[in-house]
Amino acid sequence: MALTPKKSKFVDEYVDPVGKSVPRIEGRGIVTGQTKYAFDVQMANMLVGKMLRSHHAHARIISIDTSKAEALPGVKAIITAKDTFQIKFGSNEYFFPHTVDQMAIEADKVRYIGDELAAVAAVDEETADEALRLIDVKYEILPGVFEIEEAIKPGAPAIHEALNNIALILPVNFGNPERLMKEADSVRETKFWCPVAHPSPMEPHVCVGQWETFTNKITLWSSSQAPFKCRESLAKTLKMDLNDVRVIKMAVGGGFGGKLEMLPMDFAACLLSKKAGGLPVKICLTREEEFTTTRRKHGMIYKVKTGVKKDGTLLAITGEVLADGGAYCSYGPTVLAAAMMRIFMVYKIQHFRMTGYRVYTNNPISGAMRGFGGVQSGFAIESHMDMVAKDIGMDPIEFRLKNITDPNMVTVNKMILTTNGLRECIEKARKACGWDEKRGKQQHIKRGIGIGIAADVMGSKMYKSHESAGAIVKVEEDGSVYLFTGAADTGQGSNTALSQIAAQALGVSFSRIKCKSGDTEITPFDTGSFASRVTFISGNAALLGGKDAKMQILEIVAKDNNLSIDDLDIKAEKVIFKNDGRLLMSFDKALDLCYSFKYGKQIIGRGSYNPKTTPIDFRSGEGNVSGSYGFEAQVVEVEVDTDTGVVKVLEMWDAHDIGKAINPQSVEGQIEGSLAMGVGYTFYEDLRFKNGRVLNANFAGYRVPRSIGMPKMNSILVETDELEGPFGAKGMGEAALLPTAAAIANAVEDAIGVRILELPITPEKIIKALKEKSLEKI
Amino acid sequence: MEVNLAINKKPLTLNLKGNETLLEVLRDNLSLTGTKTACQESECGTCTVMINGKAILSCITLAANVQNQAITTIEGLAEGDVLHPVQQVFIEHGSVQCGFCIPGMIMSSVALLEKNPTPTQAEVEYALDGNICRCAGYPKIFEAVHDAGKKMKKS
Repeated sequence: MALTPKKSKFVDEYVDPVGKSVPRIEGRGIVTGQTKYAFDVQMANMLVGKMLRSHHAHARIISIDTSKAEALPGVKAIITAKDTFQIKFGSNEYFFPHTVDQMAIEADKVRYIGDELAAVAAVDEETADEALRLIDVKYEILPGVFEIEEAIKPGAPAIHEALNNIALILPVNFGNPERLMKEADSVRETKFWCPVAHPSPMEPHVCVGQWETFTNKITLWSSSQAPFKCRESLAKTLKMDLNDVRVIKMAVGGGFGGKLEMLPMDFAACLLSKKAGGLPVKICLTREEEFTTTRRKHGMIYKVKTGVKKDGTLLAITGEVLADGGAYCSYGPTVLAAAMMRIFMVYKIQHFRMTGYRVYTNNPISGAMRGFGGVQSGFAIESHMDMVAKDIGMDPIEFRLKNITDPNMVTVNKMILTTNGLRECIEKARKACGWDEKRGKQQHIKRGIGIGIAADVMGSKMYKSHESAGAIVKVEEDGSVYLFTGAADTGQGSNTALSQIAAQALGVSFSRIKCKSGDTEITPFDTGSFASRVTFISGNAALLGGKDAKMQILEIVAKDNNLSIDDLDIKAEKVIFKNDGRLLMSFDKALDLCYSFKYGKQIIGRGSYNPKTTPIDFRSGEGNVSGSYGFEAQVVEVEVDTDTGVVKVLEMWDAHDIGKAINPQSVEGQIEGSLAMGVGYTFYEDLRFKNGRVLNANFAGYRVPRSIGMPKMNSILVETDELEGPFGAKGMGEAALLPTAAAIANAVEDAIGVRILELPITPEKIIKALKEKSLEKI
Repeated sequence: MEVNLAINKKPLTLNLKGNETLLEVLRDNLSLTGTKTACQESECGTCTVMINGKAILSCITLAANVQNQAITTIEGLAEGDVLHPVQQVFIEHGSVQCGFCIPGMIMSSVALLEKNPTPTQAEVEYALDGNICRCAGYPKIFEAVHDAGKKMKKS
């Protein structure tokens, strides 16, 4: 056996890829415009599909006449509710079956402006648009209700059958907060408004559906964060077997929570294709439809009351959350739960009572958006904590350090926190930003500095009883390795990170790996890209898959060399002896052996991982929802122009417990993207409605962060080496967005002494608050 | 109507109705789907291409109006297998996340750097302000543009 391995064509600088900033696996495709998104799918004879949408916020459907549209040349198919099974779909069916409340095509009633009434497929866009105009809908218009506090009043128009339009009441109760409030030295009560943001990914929702008429199988090419979830909803609403539905996730042009569910357009593309004899149907939402008819962040009224001791000890918290759910439930129940229960990961609190109400209105549908309720609670709780600290004259950081959770503890609601770098994050952020020199000391130049802290899960059982992920690691004869994962890369870089994990586990160079992800027919099951779960859960599956493939190779090597498999390992492209690292043979040689005349052994590693969690009991709020928890602290420095009310963010510091950075550059990318999104939410992202109509359904009216004015961002990676994580890693796609608005509001308070309780922080609000403050002095 | 133009250095004669945007011609007629659109109303920048070295929005440009002009799309930047320096640094700096904005972002960057390879930070921000990126929050894009400028100046 040769002792010096022949240099493999696969050996590159990323021979030990975990922990290195490996460039994106699809980088060359993206920068050359060759990567194909669902938006780019072109097929012969492909039809253009369009949805007919309600112009009324609340109305009964009397009749729909499609005859004129059907007679239009070029129209190939039209569907209305009578062509469907009228089966409802939703996203929290496992825990909250009664919240499954939306039909792909509504049959009796429309509940918001944009609700789907019919769909058409035609040879081109003009014909499809003309067909929509020719469909005659007769409505009986019903009174609508658009404000949370109006919708819950007795006698308000009933949108569904829920009493007082309350789709869901979630009580979270621990200890005896009333008694503890009486023992408190200081009690503070605050009411916050958290406005409606929209995910607005650059690629709008788009799909191509095709129905094989003779075999009765469907394929949907989609822009999805959760292709397996989409498959489940399609199969259910179309009454098909799960495996007759294939969802192929193309490259996804961003999701941010908005692409977690099947939308009526996905259903319609498939059914229209059936009616059109199997021709593929492409439906691409316009930007206006994207803003008005997909999923948006819940607007929330967040009331919180806290009792503390003079020394800063948190005694009790009570509160109430009212969420504007819009017309249907979507992921609303879990968003509401997350908005109330994240606090247990952050603060040691034993006495807690909060009740959440998810309220139907005739506004567009609220659902998941990056942060899952945590952006709203992050703003409310972290602003409130600064106010509480101020009441007792305590520094906000000292107050937090006194009350935060510790490593290796069980929270009052039975979350098991193991590694917990929150304290380290706060200390590192404090040092990096120069907190002690700046806090409270820059008012003369109208500068201020503020902190917010947060924690996040990595995974959550939302629509199934398990949330396992699988991986297949197929090592080919030519030395290339295919990683098949069900995880959906939507731009966060999971294809790259999971490939790094699989390569490291197998002991080979990153360049060997090719990644195929998110195809329900050929990749293993995965619940999708949400809850910051992919690196942790899908990563563990990739780790197990890589290890399994390695063991299969070592089995052959051991056998052929009369050695024990326990004495061998594969590391950095070499088969070595475990005890002294001595080289036995190169990886390529080992592979030659596996695929030799003598052995002919295919190497197909498999991994399956289901995190060690307990289901949340939603009657009490108890449960260990995640297999691990991530933490972070964020500091923002601002400068306020008191003449114009403009707040300028000067610099941001984000210290993040990510367990271990599989790809530091990607981690920074997630943090920077989150911070930008947080800046947007704080200052201008505000989807506004009037009588259910969206007033700013475009990028001119709904401003998102642009390049001018982005502050300097500093990412501080705190590695706590999570035992349960793949190579120690935790998930981290959302946490950095959670405390941003509060950190900014707290910095504004430090700079000019005014407290903003309602987002967004606009110049008008700053000026108004300054005026009120000066009147107080008089 | 007949429209003569050059796309990625290739001369073409197109038979058009006359109401097609350049974006539609690129994507639908020529299958050059690297150029994207996210709004179709000149707000997002994902449809940016270059006409005679200047970045323009193809979603609001009539194809009939670019008679006899040289158009460069994202597909035309690399020379064979060799990426344009801007493409290369976008990969190296981790500027790419979902990638949907990237073709437009790269075209705006190339148009800037060809005129001015050493832009100030303010000039970079100004040049890219029409290109929305929803994923990356811009720092890694800024880094890449400055770095690419240095590389372009050297070569």
